[in-house]
Amino acid sequence: MENDTTKIPARRKFLIDLSNGSVLAIYGLSYNSISSCKQASEEKTTLMTTDGKLVQVPNSEIEEMEHLSHGASPKEARKGIPGKKFVMVVDLAKCKNAKNCIEACDKHHNLTPDRPYIKVLKMQDNEKSAPYWMPKKCFQCDNPPCVKVCPVGATYKRTDGIVLVDNERCIGCRFCMAACPYSARVFNWGAPPEGKLDIPYSPETSLPSQIGTVAKCDFCPEMLRQNKLPHCVTSCPNGVIYFGDEIDDTVTNGEETVRLSTLLKEKAGYRYMEELGTKPRVYYLPPVDRLFPFEETTQENS
Amino acid sequence: MKSETKLISYFLEVIMAVTFIFGANTISYGQDDLQDAIVTLSFTEDGKTKIIQAKATDQDGIPIEDLELYFYVQRTFSLLPIGDFFNATDENGIVEILFPEDLPGAAEGHVKIVVKILESDMYNDLTLEAIKNWGIPTQVDQFEEKRSLWAAAANAPITLVLSISGMILAIWFIIGYIIFIMYKIGKIKADKDTQFIEEGYFKDIIERS
Amino acid sequence: MSKSNIELQKFRTKRGKRLLTHLISTSLQYKLWIAFLLLLIVLGLIGYYRQLRYGLVVTAMRDYTSWGIYISNFVFFVAISLVGSLFSSILKLNKNLWARPLTRISEIIAVAAIICAAVIIIVDMGRPDRIFYVITHLRIQSPIIWDVIIISTYLVISILLLYISLLPDIALCRDRLTEIPKWKKTLYRITAINWHNHPKQIAMLQKVNKILAIAILPVAFAIHTVTSWLFATTWRPGWDSTNLGPYFVSGAFMAGAAVIIVAMYFVRKHLKLSKYITNIHFDKMGKLLVLLSLVYLYFNINEYLGPAFKMVGVEGEHITELFVGNYAPMYWFVQLGGLILPIIFLMFNRFRKPLPILIISIFVVLGAWFKRFLIVIPSLQHPYLPIQGVDESYLHYNPTWEEWAITISSFAWLLLIITVLIKLFPVIPIKKYKQGSETIFKQNIF
Repeated sequence: MENDTTKIPARRKFLIDLSNGSVLAIYGLSYNSISSCKQASEEKTTLMTTDGKLVQVPNSEIEEMEHLSHGASPKEARKGIPGKKFVMVVDLAKCKNAKNCIEACDKHHNLTPDRPYIKVLKMQDNEKSAPYWMPKKCFQCDNPPCVKVCPVGATYKRTDGIVLVDNERCIGCRFCMAACPYSARVFNWGAPPEGKLDIPYSPETSLPSQIGTVAKCDFCPEMLRQNKLPHCVTSCPNGVIYFGDEIDDTVTNGEETVRLSTLLKEKAGYRYMEELGTKPRVYYLPPVDRLFPFEETTQENS
Repeated sequence: MKSETKLISYFLEVIMAVTFIFGANTISYGQDDLQDAIVTLSFTEDGKTKIIQAKATDQDGIPIEDLELYFYVQRTFSLLPIGDFFNATDENGIVEILFPEDLPGAAEGHVKIVVKILESDMYNDLTLEAIKNWGIPTQVDQFEEKRSLWAAAANAPITLVLSISGMILAIWFIIGYIIFIMYKIGKIKADKDTQFIEEGYFKDIIERS
Repeated sequence: MSKSNIELQKFRTKRGKRLLTHLISTSLQYKLWIAFLLLLIVLGLIGYYRQLRYGLVVTAMRDYTSWGIYISNFVFFVAISLVGSLFSSILKLNKNLWARPLTRISEIIAVAAIICAAVIIIVDMGRPDRIFYVITHLRIQSPIIWDVIIISTYLVISILLLYISLLPDIALCRDRLTEIPKWKKTLYRITAINWHNHPKQIAMLQKVNKILAIAILPVAFAIHTVTSWLFATTWRPGWDSTNLGPYFVSGAFMAGAAVIIVAMYFVRKHLKLSKYITNIHFDKMGKLLVLLSLVYLYFNINEYLGPAFKMVGVEGEHITELFVGNYAPMYWFVQLGGLILPIIFLMFNRFRKPLPILIISIFVVLGAWFKRFLIVIPSLQHPYLPIQGVDESYLHYNPTWEEWAITISSFAWLLLIITVLIKLFPVIPIKKYKQGSETIFKQNIF
């Protein structure tokens, strides 16, 4: 019980990361906190790791975390981030096709505009109903048809719910593209447009992309490892995309943080084509009480 | 938690480090304008009802009335607000909020509770943190060992593995047997019977035209 | 080989002469034919070189139409490879003696087609350099792996089937043919594995033949059913169907029978075998083709009636596209020209003569090829979510010259393998044994 009660310097906010499972590193936001930590080395601070364990760390050991500049290796990337089940909620009432998510995604995944991972589709359910914009990424299904059909295990489902593609394993048969009912996957038909990137390959960033292999939206696991939101979430000017951990029951669009269950209950959240049984990890909130009128071209998207 | 009727209180004392916190901010805010508040948190648990009480006093120990406090629970990417939309202290400097009953915590139910003073007219910004095991313990389903059609090769459904292996074995056993017979055919040596047949063959051939 | 070889070669019977001449003499026509095939193959290799160098971007396939004519061609080759089992198993077990002279041709076509199917699927891969990953990183859950397993099994069985029925004839070539080059003599000597018509050998061979005839049947059905599952295990309109297995198998038998008729015609004409491949054969094959086409028609109606009646969402769009949309000309050519009209024509005696039935069969084969195009491509162009925000080229599929060159060259490979096998081995089975262990040779019934 005493462990529960701790003294924490109020000015300091800690983010803890158990990256790759072993090295505990702590990232201090306050610029002068590190020097003060080291002075009071006998003091201990109780911290909670990302997977919920309580640890006591001498203040002297607290160091700023070194960021992973890129994602984990192909072998590490198969494991997933422990204790997490990532989930996304897209509020269709807020989307006005600003396309900032596409831009940010293209930039961080080094994509050319002709083959984006994200698409914002103009949807109209029937003649009478109003059209709306539907941002669409990979649904990271819990019963993923693409993973089922892969002959070599190049695409796989991780414990944190994310479906990734290992471009060093992919044989380019494109069966996963045929199997995906949501057309989420793209193929590197020719040589990567960005030329050669001199970084080690990681399925978590899908970089550098390789000719003759499949790619898709990956939920930016290299950001998630740093407890940061995917690029599409942070880039959206209208707060359309909520992202979070299903275990936490919490999603955030960067500004507003809400409970997932409350959000889905109050706004009648649904999953696209539930009847296919793919169990997507992306939920939609219906386009009711819209914040913007539907316009084909706006200043943002023209 | 075990004895639900028993009232347990925990006190969290908060030390304010005042002198050098807002190093850079002092210029813009002006050091003299804002004071540091002292906020003490206490946690009360009665059965399912869990209450966070915060008491705010100034440096002299006088309760601060009508101070806006923000209550959060730390989540993976952000702070989840709990309590009412506005939570201001009463004349005793006290504000109480109800901790949600059904909020998931970590594996043992631990949650990090964060209380803040933000952009107050009178007081400096302040952040308090406390870890409580008030959350619902969550067991993460790691599903690594589950056999399924979408699992890795090593976790293929056992019925699928058995039926495919059975079929492969059956047909390749037949193929192997045929190749073995062919090998045996090659080992049979010619004898006089064969000669007879060879000659018989030529006699028997009758051309139809 | 010059004509003098044939003059030097002594045949003991006229029958032997007729059936073995083509192994010895090489006509100018034959050389030109081989040269023509090699030319097509070289064109295909140029196309494939460009594809290896620049990637699949040289094809017209893009993110929506992610499978193209390589896959439809693959399905076509798998389909015609089924014909080996039709003759060697179904007709043989039913004691259809008339089909005996056609057995060898059908087995040769089966072997050639299954080899081409295996090759064309590698051509379709984005990373052919990782082909062995399907063994080293095999995932048994994937229908592609099932297909790899069944295709390799069927390849081995087809080769065995061809070889076992060929064995006595190889021995005959070894014993009789004197005026042939040394490499051919060596080939016959090695492949004849000491066969000398010993009663024990004959008994054993007949036993093996019977086992194979039965064993090939489930494998043959499986190969095309598993190929249909590559499609049926997805949600694409036109693929998401429980009918797809029998639909593919029945279509394969029909296409295979038509291919046999085409092959029969040319083999008979160029090898001067009208004594062995008679008008009766064409007549019987015509009747068989009608029967197989009717079965296929039945499954076709099953395949389209349900979705066309319900017109559900993208399934309805897909059906509309086929019936009255962009693909309507091809669709109706396939259904009328490649299925219904052949059935009607072949019901009449006069169309079951060699030349008319050849033309009809060519239509059936063409229809079968384009049918597979229609199975693969339009389905991919009707996903659940609308196709938006992509380049204009992603919306259509018009195969590039590289794709056509590779596809045509795959046919050239098929014909080359068939031609070479016919050139090396007697195309009509020469030796016939009575059923059972009796060791008296019997002349071919024709």
